[in-house]
Amino acid sequence: MAPRLNPLTTLTAAAAVLVITTAASSWAVSLTVAGGAALLAGVTGTARRVLLAAGVILAPFWLSLLLMHGLFFPEGRTVLASWGPARITAEGLGFAVDMGLRTSAFVLVLLLFSFSVRVPELVAALAVLRLPPQFGYVLASTLMLAPIIAARLEKVRQAQESRGLVVGKGIGNRLGAARLQMVPLVLGLVHDAGIRAQALDARGFRRTGPRTTYTQVRDSRAQRGFRILAVLLAVAAVAVRIAASLPGGGQA
Amino acid sequence: MSQPSLTLPTPGQRAGRNRRLLEILGAAAIAGTFIYLVLTQPADITGGLGSVSALVALGGFLLGAVLLIVGVLPTLPTSTVVLIPVALVLNIVLGQLMGTSGLPFYLDAIGTVLIAVLAGPAAGAATGALSSIVWSFINPTVLPFAAGAALIGFLAGTAARYGLFRRFYLAPVAGFVTGIVAGVVSAPIAAFVFGGTSGAGTGAIVSAFRAMGDTLLAAITKQALISDPMDKAIVFTIAALLVYALPRRTTFQFPFVRRYNVLAGKEPAKRNA
Amino acid sequence: MNSHKPDAVTLRAAIESFAFHGDSRPALQGVDIVAAPGTLTAVLGGSGSGKSTLGRLLGGWLAGGRDGTLKGRLQLEPGGQQEAWQPLVFAGADTDPQIDPAAWAEQVGYVPQDPAAMLSAVRATVEEELAFGLENRGTERAEMVRIVAEAARRTGLAGLLERDPATLSGGELRRLAVGCAIVADPAVLVLDEPLASLDVDGTRTVTELVTAELARGTAVVLLSQSTDALARSAEHWLVLDGGAATAAGPPDRLLAGEELASSGVVVSEPSGPHPVQAQPRPCPAPGDVPALKLEGVSFGFDTKNPGRPLLLENVDLDVWPGEIVAVTGPNGAGKSTLLRLFNGLLKPLRGEVRIGGEAIAGVPTGIIARRLGLLFQHPHDQLFERTVLREVLFGLDRVFGDEAPGRAADALAAVGLGAAGSAHPHELSGSGQRLLALATVLAREPEVLALDEPTVALDAHGLKRLSATMTAAAGRGAAVVLVTHDLAFARAHAHRLVELRDGVLAGR
Repeated sequence: MAPRLNPLTTLTAAAAVLVITTAASSWAVSLTVAGGAALLAGVTGTARRVLLAAGVILAPFWLSLLLMHGLFFPEGRTVLASWGPARITAEGLGFAVDMGLRTSAFVLVLLLFSFSVRVPELVAALAVLRLPPQFGYVLASTLMLAPIIAARLEKVRQAQESRGLVVGKGIGNRLGAARLQMVPLVLGLVHDAGIRAQALDARGFRRTGPRTTYTQVRDSRAQRGFRILAVLLAVAAVAVRIAASLPGGGQA
Repeated sequence: MSQPSLTLPTPGQRAGRNRRLLEILGAAAIAGTFIYLVLTQPADITGGLGSVSALVALGGFLLGAVLLIVGVLPTLPTSTVVLIPVALVLNIVLGQLMGTSGLPFYLDAIGTVLIAVLAGPAAGAATGALSSIVWSFINPTVLPFAAGAALIGFLAGTAARYGLFRRFYLAPVAGFVTGIVAGVVSAPIAAFVFGGTSGAGTGAIVSAFRAMGDTLLAAITKQALISDPMDKAIVFTIAALLVYALPRRTTFQFPFVRRYNVLAGKEPAKRNA
Repeated sequence: MNSHKPDAVTLRAAIESFAFHGDSRPALQGVDIVAAPGTLTAVLGGSGSGKSTLGRLLGGWLAGGRDGTLKGRLQLEPGGQQEAWQPLVFAGADTDPQIDPAAWAEQVGYVPQDPAAMLSAVRATVEEELAFGLENRGTERAEMVRIVAEAARRTGLAGLLERDPATLSGGELRRLAVGCAIVADPAVLVLDEPLASLDVDGTRTVTELVTAELARGTAVVLLSQSTDALARSAEHWLVLDGGAATAAGPPDRLLAGEELASSGVVVSEPSGPHPVQAQPRPCPAPGDVPALKLEGVSFGFDTKNPGRPLLLENVDLDVWPGEIVAVTGPNGAGKSTLLRLFNGLLKPLRGEVRIGGEAIAGVPTGIIARRLGLLFQHPHDQLFERTVLREVLFGLDRVFGDEAPGRAADALAAVGLGAAGSAHPHELSGSGQRLLALATVLAREPEVLALDEPTVALDAHGLKRLSATMTAAAGRGAAVVLVTHDLAFARAHAHRLVELRDGVLAGR
C-alpha cells in the first residue's frame, strides 16, 4: 500500500502525526501513535526492519531515562523508595514514561516513513516542490554511498595487511590502524568526488532553469486534499496547545 | 538560427540577495528559538511534558536549519556538493558507532568539520544541518539537533577562515570553544524534546547533576559542557589530520582554501621539478 | 538529441599552457589540436603526459580560473550556414570567459577514463541515469523517453535499461558513460582510454560504437596510452610527452619516428600487444623446498549453498625460488581470489598453503607479509602516507633497522621514482602510483612476490621497470607469481604459464 502513495503524502502524514502527538502531550496519545505505527509497519511488511532499528535506538534511551528520572528527580514529592541521594518518585517515573512514549512514537513514525519510502521517488517528488536539486542529490547519494564505502574500507584493510600492517590487540594499535585506514579511504573518496563534480556540471547539474523528472510519481486529487487537511490539523493542534498555555488558559 | 551561449552569465544580483535573505532568516529562527527557550524554561519542564517548549524547539530549530540549507546549497560549487554525501557518511557511521559504545562522546561531526575547513562556514553550516536530516532516516532522534550541527559547521568554517587550522595545535582549541557554544545550544533540545540524553555515558553524568538538585535543563547543559568541548576538540583534531593528509592539488581545488590560505601551516608537499 | 545527423562542428584548441592551482609546473604546454567532423584523432602519450588534462579541458570539465591557470584559445566552428561562435580566448586573467560546462557539453562530450566517474550515482537504473542530463535541461518527459531510447539504441544498451548501473560489466559501463554524454547530442566526442581494462568482448562493442559515431559525422578525439587497433584507425596522431606535444601527423610517419618510443606509449603490433620480445627461459632447477606450495586447496564464497560449484577445486601449485609463474584465465575465474589465499586474507575450505615449507594457517596476514609481498590492482587502496619516501619506509625499520633508509632508496630507484621521494603519492601519475606500490613490496625483499594484473595502467616506461624488477627479484632467488590477462607479457617473462579455468589450475 504505502509505496503506491506519493512520498509527499506519507511525509506530510508523518509530520502531522508527530506535531499532533507533541501538542497533545499525553501518554495515551503517544502510546496509541507508537502502537499504530508498529501495526502499520506490520501491514506494509517493514515491521522487522522498523522494530529492529527502533529497538536499537530506544532501548538505551529508555534505560537512560528510567535511571535518570526514576532515581533522581528532585522535583518529585511522592517518594516510593530511597537509598541515600537516590529516590524513586512517582513523578519521576511518570515523567520518564511520558517522555519515553513520546520519543518512541517519534522514532517509530519517522522510521516507518523512511523505511517505506522509495528514495528515487522521494527525490523526484522533492524536485517537483522546487527544493534545490542539490538537496535531493545529497539525500540519495548519502543513502547509496554507505555500502560502497563499506566495501572500499574492506579493500583498504586487505591491501594494508598485505603490506605488513599488523593490527594488534591494544587500543593504541587499533587507533593507529584506524588512522592508516581512514587516510586512503578519505583521500580516495575526495578524489572521486572531485571528478564526479566535473561530470555532474557537464551534465547540467548547476543549470538554473526549470527541471523535469524521468521517474513518474503517482499523485491524485485525493492525496493533494489529504495533504492540505493534514497540515491544517497540525496547525490547529499547535494553536489549541498555545492557547491553552497562555495565562488564564491553564497550565501546560 | 542563433547559437546558444557557451559561457556563463555573470551571476544576477537578485538571486544572490534572496539567498542571503534565506540564510539570515534561518540564523534568526535558530537564535530566536534559543532565546525563547532560555527565557521561558523554568516553569515549563516539571509541570508536564513541556509541550509548547518542545514544539517551539522542534519547529524553530528545524525551520532555521531548512532555511539555511535552501539558502546555502544552490550557492555551493558542485565540487563541494558532491563531497557532502561523503562527509555525511563519515558523520553517520562514526556517530552510530560511538552511540553504541557507551562513551560520553559523539564524534558525529568529523565530516562536517572537514567540509567547513575546505569550503567555508556557509558550506559547513549546510552540511551540519543536512547531516542531521539525512541521518534521521535511520535514527530519527538526531533530527531535532539540526541547528546545533549547523552551528558546529559554521564555527569550524569560521575558525578555518581565521587561520586556526594552519597550526596543528590550534585546531583542538577551536574545537573546544565550538563545543562550548554547541553544547549550550543543543541542551534545550535534549531537555524539552527528549527529557534527557540517549547515551548511557551522558545519562550517568546528567543523573549526577540531578542528584545535586539541578533543574533538568541545567543538568543537561552542564553535561554538555563536560562532553561537547572534549568531543569537538577530538573531532577538530581528526579533521585537521585528514585535511593535512590530502594532496595539495586536491585542497587547492577549493577557492576557500586558496583565498584564506587555510592550511598554510601544512608542510607543502614539494613537487619535484 | 535527434535521430538525424548532428550539426557538423569543428573543434580547434590551441593550449599555450595550463597549470593546476598550487602546481609550479604547467600540466600542458603548447598543444594544438583540431577535431573535424567524421574524423578520428588520437592523442597518444605515456602515463602523466597530460592526456587526461587535455581531454578534460577540451570537454569543459576543467575550467580556467576555477581549476587552474589557462592560457590559449578554444573555438567551435559550425559547418554550413550557421552563425559562428566567438572564439574563447584565455589569458590566465580574472576577466577570462567562464565556460558553461553544460552548454559546452552539448557540443563537446568528454567520457572519462573511469566510466563510473561519469555517472551521477544517484539513479537506480540505466534509463534514469541516461535521463539525468535531460532532467536538468528541463526536457519534456515524452521527449526524454524518446531520447533515452535512441541513446540506448546507439550505445547498444537497449536490453539493459532496467538494470542497476552498479551491476554492469566493464564494457557495458563504458557504453553507459558514452550514452550519458551523447544524450546531449554533441558534435565532438572526447574518449579517454575507452578500451582500458576491457576484455575482448568489451573491446569489440566499444570499438563498434566509436565506428558508428564516426559514420554519423561525429568528430572523435581518442586519448590512449597504446597504439591499439582503434588508435591505428585514426587519421591523425598527436604525441604528448611531459605535457607538451612532441610530434603530430599521420600514424605511418609517427610510427617510424622516435618521439613515440620516448613518450612512453606502448607500441603494439597490429596483431598482438607487446613490445618485449619473447625469449625462451630455462626454468631454475627445483631446490629442496618450494618457496610457495598449494596442496589440494579448495575455496568458494557462498559455502552455505551446496548446489553452487566451488570457485577453486583441489588446486595444487609449486613455485620454486627464482621461478616466475604466470596465472592466466578468463574474467571471474578466481585469479585474484587465488592470490588472496597465498597470504591468508582468505582461508581455504580444504587444503594447505605453505611458504618456504611452513604452513600459514593461523598466522596473521600482516606477519606473512614479511615473507610474501602481495601487490593489488588498485594502488589507491594501498597508499596512505604523505610522501613517496615515507610510503616505502613505512614499517621497514622493524625489518631492517638502520638499513631501512638505504633499502627504501634502492627500491625507489629500482622502479624509477628515485627523484620523486618528497612528492605526495596521489600526485604521481597512474603508472607512478602502481610502481610506488611495487616499490613498497620490493623494499621488504620477500621470498615470494605475488602480483595482481601488474601491467594494467603501466605505460611503456613502467612496463620496462616492471620487467626489470621482476627479473631482478627472481635473480636473487625470490619466487614470483603474477596474475594477468596480458598473454604476451606472460609469455615474455614467465618460466611457466598456468591457466585457471572452471576452478581447476592446469599447465599450458
